Amino acid sequence: MSQVSEPAHAPTSTGIEHKKLIMWLFLASDCMFFGTLISTHLLYRKLYPTGFTDAEGHQRFIQNLFNIELTSFSTFILLMSSFLMALAVSAMHKGQIKSFRRNVLGVIFFGLIFLGCQVFEFTHFFHQGLTIQNSVFGSTFYVLTGTHGTHVAIGILWLILLYFYSFTGKLGGHVGALDVEVAGLYWHFVDIVWIIIFTAVYLVEYLGPSGFWGTGLPLTK
Amino acid sequence: MSHDSHHAPVASKLDLAPERSDLGLIRPDRKTGWADWLTTVDHKKIGIMYGAFAMFFFLVGGLEALAIRTQLARPDNDFVTARMYNQLFTMHGTTMIFLGVMPLSAAFFNFLVPLQIGARDVAFPRLNAFSLWTFVAGAFVLNSSWLFEFGHLAGWFNNFSWYKSLVYTDFAPANGWFSYAPLSGTVGQADAALHAPRFTGVGTDFWIIGIQILGVASLAASFNFICTIINMRAKGMTMMRLPVFTWMTLVTSALIILAFPAITVALIELMFDRQFGANFFNPSAGGQPILWQHLFWIFGHPEVYILVLPAMGIVSEILPTFSGKALFGYPIIVFSGAVIGFLGFAVWSHHMFTTGLGAVPTAAFALLTMAIAVPTGVKIFNWLGTIWGGKIRFTPPMVLALGFIWMFMCGGFSGVMHSSAPADAQQQDSYFVIAHFHYVLLGGVLLGLMAGLYFWFPKIFGRMPNAGVAYLASGLVILGFNLAFGPMHYLGLAGQPRRTHTYHAGNGWETWNFVATIGAFILGIGVFLAFANLVWTAFKGKKCGSDPWDGRTLEWSLSSPVAEYNFAQSPVIAARDAYFEDKHGGRRIAYENDGGEAGVHMPSQSWMPLVAGFGFLMIGLGMPMLSMGVPHIGWLVIAGLTVMFIGIWLWALEGPGGYMLKTPAVGSTPSAPAHQTATTH
Amino acid sequence: MSDVAPSPAFLQEEVRRYHHFITLALWLAAITGVEIVLIFLPVPMALILTVLCLLSAIKFFAVIMWFMHLIYDHRLLFWLFVTGLALAFATFTAVLSLFAVERVDTKWFS
Ligand code: HEM
Ligand SMILES: [Cu+2]
Repeated sequence: MSQVSEPAHAPTSTGIEHKKLIMWLFLASDCMFFGTLISTHLLYRKLYPTGFTDAEGHQRFIQNLFNIELTSFSTFILLMSSFLMALAVSAMHKGQIKSFRRNVLGVIFFGLIFLGCQVFEFTHFFHQGLTIQNSVFGSTFYVLTGTHGTHVAIGILWLILLYFYSFTGKLGGHVGALDVEVAGLYWHFVDIVWIIIFTAVYLVEYLGPSGFWGTGLPLTK
Repeated sequence: MSHDSHHAPVASKLDLAPERSDLGLIRPDRKTGWADWLTTVDHKKIGIMYGAFAMFFFLVGGLEALAIRTQLARPDNDFVTARMYNQLFTMHGTTMIFLGVMPLSAAFFNFLVPLQIGARDVAFPRLNAFSLWTFVAGAFVLNSSWLFEFGHLAGWFNNFSWYKSLVYTDFAPANGWFSYAPLSGTVGQADAALHAPRFTGVGTDFWIIGIQILGVASLAASFNFICTIINMRAKGMTMMRLPVFTWMTLVTSALIILAFPAITVALIELMFDRQFGANFFNPSAGGQPILWQHLFWIFGHPEVYILVLPAMGIVSEILPTFSGKALFGYPIIVFSGAVIGFLGFAVWSHHMFTTGLGAVPTAAFALLTMAIAVPTGVKIFNWLGTIWGGKIRFTPPMVLALGFIWMFMCGGFSGVMHSSAPADAQQQDSYFVIAHFHYVLLGGVLLGLMAGLYFWFPKIFGRMPNAGVAYLASGLVILGFNLAFGPMHYLGLAGQPRRTHTYHAGNGWETWNFVATIGAFILGIGVFLAFANLVWTAFKGKKCGSDPWDGRTLEWSLSSPVAEYNFAQSPVIAARDAYFEDKHGGRRIAYENDGGEAGVHMPSQSWMPLVAGFGFLMIGLGMPMLSMGVPHIGWLVIAGLTVMFIGIWLWALEGPGGYMLKTPAVGSTPSAPAHQTATTH
Repeated sequence: MSDVAPSPAFLQEEVRRYHHFITLALWLAAITGVEIVLIFLPVPMALILTVLCLLSAIKFFAVIMWFMHLIYDHRLLFWLFVTGLALAFATFTAVLSLFAVERVDTKWFS
């Protein structure tokens, strides 16, 4: 009688749960957010294809800076984390909390590997002489990928909290599944942003002898 | 569910037994007084607070404007210094847009949308409180820059070493409301401490972080409102039966969530330039200051529609009510509102005609800008069609709404004039543009919002504003406004530049500047009088019935003031203008038997949104002080981030809670207070 | 707990989705592999770029449709998201083309 229904239980006009709807609205908005960041980067690549000058005054080319093996590896890792996330959501729908925990731990683990790769990449680039201060490329690259990394970090934190929350026994039923699904939407979105970044920021630098943007200059270190 | 409260339904929240949240803390549900306002999740109270803050900041922005006009009253005047003048117009514009108009619109969204769609609350009540407190934090951060500026002028900081090493000592923002780079940014190489040489002092940092925080508040609120409107409509309330104000709220919120990310990123980039020596807009490293202009106006032009669409929604409610006719061409009004919103994203470069975009882009943006006048004009014709042949009652809200149409139209005309790029080359950065956007913003938006205040105040407080004072104030506002801004068309075309702290005698500008200043003071008195009348009404006004205007939409079917649960029974809507149809037409509103003894579900109050908002305040004060070089202040930023995070985390963990409130039984008058019909078990 | 156990039909549907997810994961990995090989092929750049854009678009939409359930969920969600995506794409394509390389004077900074 005095059962208080959770807002998530209340029927909505469209049948879509509030939390799911608001998450999709957020993601639509985040498209503009990452759109701005990515286009800032592309814009400056278009204007200044020659890369940057390091501390010793050497002209450096992006293709020689990037490490495609590492980036491909971390891309693969992030894709697989997305897969595990889909499984974690599926497990919650089936009410299999143990399987949820296993999968979500996997997501967290892969997410951490991805972040680790990024930290490695940043320090490596830094030692190669690329800083946020010494070129527009440094600014746009670090801020774009760093903002994406921050999104990943927030996602990891969210999932860790959900993981521990599941041990309180309160993460269950329809509401629990929805909470996990919404976190999953966020995680997948971070993944698809990386799919774009992988192509638009990394792969294009390898097209032709001097990258898609072209340098007009010989490619030497 | 584990989150359930196991209380029996109560007649008043004061009867609740103390209940612990999932965290084990007592929920602030039974609070009264200050603590009730600080923890409330009731959309009506949140709306009232938004409104109160907005009216306060309107007065602050108004005082800044009067200082500007006083300086310009005479040629070669020295009422304020050039630097102070820059700070005044920057803070005036920023305050009016972000702390005046937007929160006042938000006040209406909050108060009205759930009532108009037949809902008991918004989709995420605590998120709504979070939006409010984050807005307050951002407003405080922006205006605290005045405090620092004052401290600087008064010599408070003279003994501090960080103060002595400052290159620029302007503490209040002074770049104009769009803070163009590179003036707002950096030039040259960053030093070892990552400080690139800047053009301006920490005022700019206050502006950056302040706008960033306000953006968070607006975004959170907009997600919430879209969700509410799409998902929480009463039965029978189809999209094409939504009141036009709710429609415009939906479009505005959509604009906010799509436009604000651009400025968010632009602000991040500018912040990185200033704080960490990045080169986004640093010309000496190849950064393109013009990118800032693009990113700003990709946000900025939709922003002007974010400002005006709610006022258009308000007017679309008021005109039918006082003409005794249904809104003429409802679907077309809705459709043109949506088209304006959509086209609004495709015209941003009309603010940049004089930067040399190239022939084709200039022509394209000019054409698109002209095109946007079409749906705008369609709306105006529809409003005219609405009052045409109606039995018009010239109540104060109606007078203000008619003023809106007339004044807004003048602003639209000058807008079309500078949509022509060659003409704009003459008008850009002159007083002509000032005239244009004050006609749309003041003559349009402010009159519309004031009309809304006078229209809905009886609903909000159950008291009727004094009509005599209202007419007088409306007259003063419209008269003063035209005296102040009409002459600026001429001044602009005669060459007076905007954003210039003084002018020499002999240019033929003296007379009209003086007239404009007189007008500004008349306008100021008018707005003050209008607001004072409202404040007085809220506490002392004459009590009035629940439907003093013969209203058309659902909110008028409720008691005034509205009970905390809004609808004792959920309405089932049978027509557009549901309440008017219910009263005068054949199609009655049915009520679902979902309240009464079993009670309706009320969300629990919470401290957490306030805590999270407080975290933003700490970040917002910390960042500019970091930029000043105040030692150890980085900890304040870190502490702020922590507080924000903890606030949000505990908010998630405490669970939504909720309790059941008894409402009057079916069949009793909806306006009877809940506790009169409550029985005990 | 007020929740009832998931119905058998629903469980069956979940199992079907599970298989979709596995297939998709394999495809995603494969496409990424193809992308990495592609960039080193001696083929005209324009062709490779077109294919790369196509492949990442496929990956992008595959993730939102299946992993993010858009194919199973209410159509409104799809259109909401696509609105944001399309607006971002259009706006920033315009911004990028508004900046012309020829008009940037690179001589006066290092
Ligand atoms: C018929 C519709 C409109 C047209 C064609 C139009 C056109 C323009 C153009 C071309 C400019 C740039 C002028 C310049 O800087 O040289 C401008 C400026 C401006 N407009 Fe409008 N406008 C319209 C409606 C509005 C509305 C509805 C608002 C706000 C409620 C608004 C607010 C502004 C503001 C604030 C500026 C000045 C921004 C600044 O430079 O500080 N306009 N308008
Ligand atoms: Cu504009």
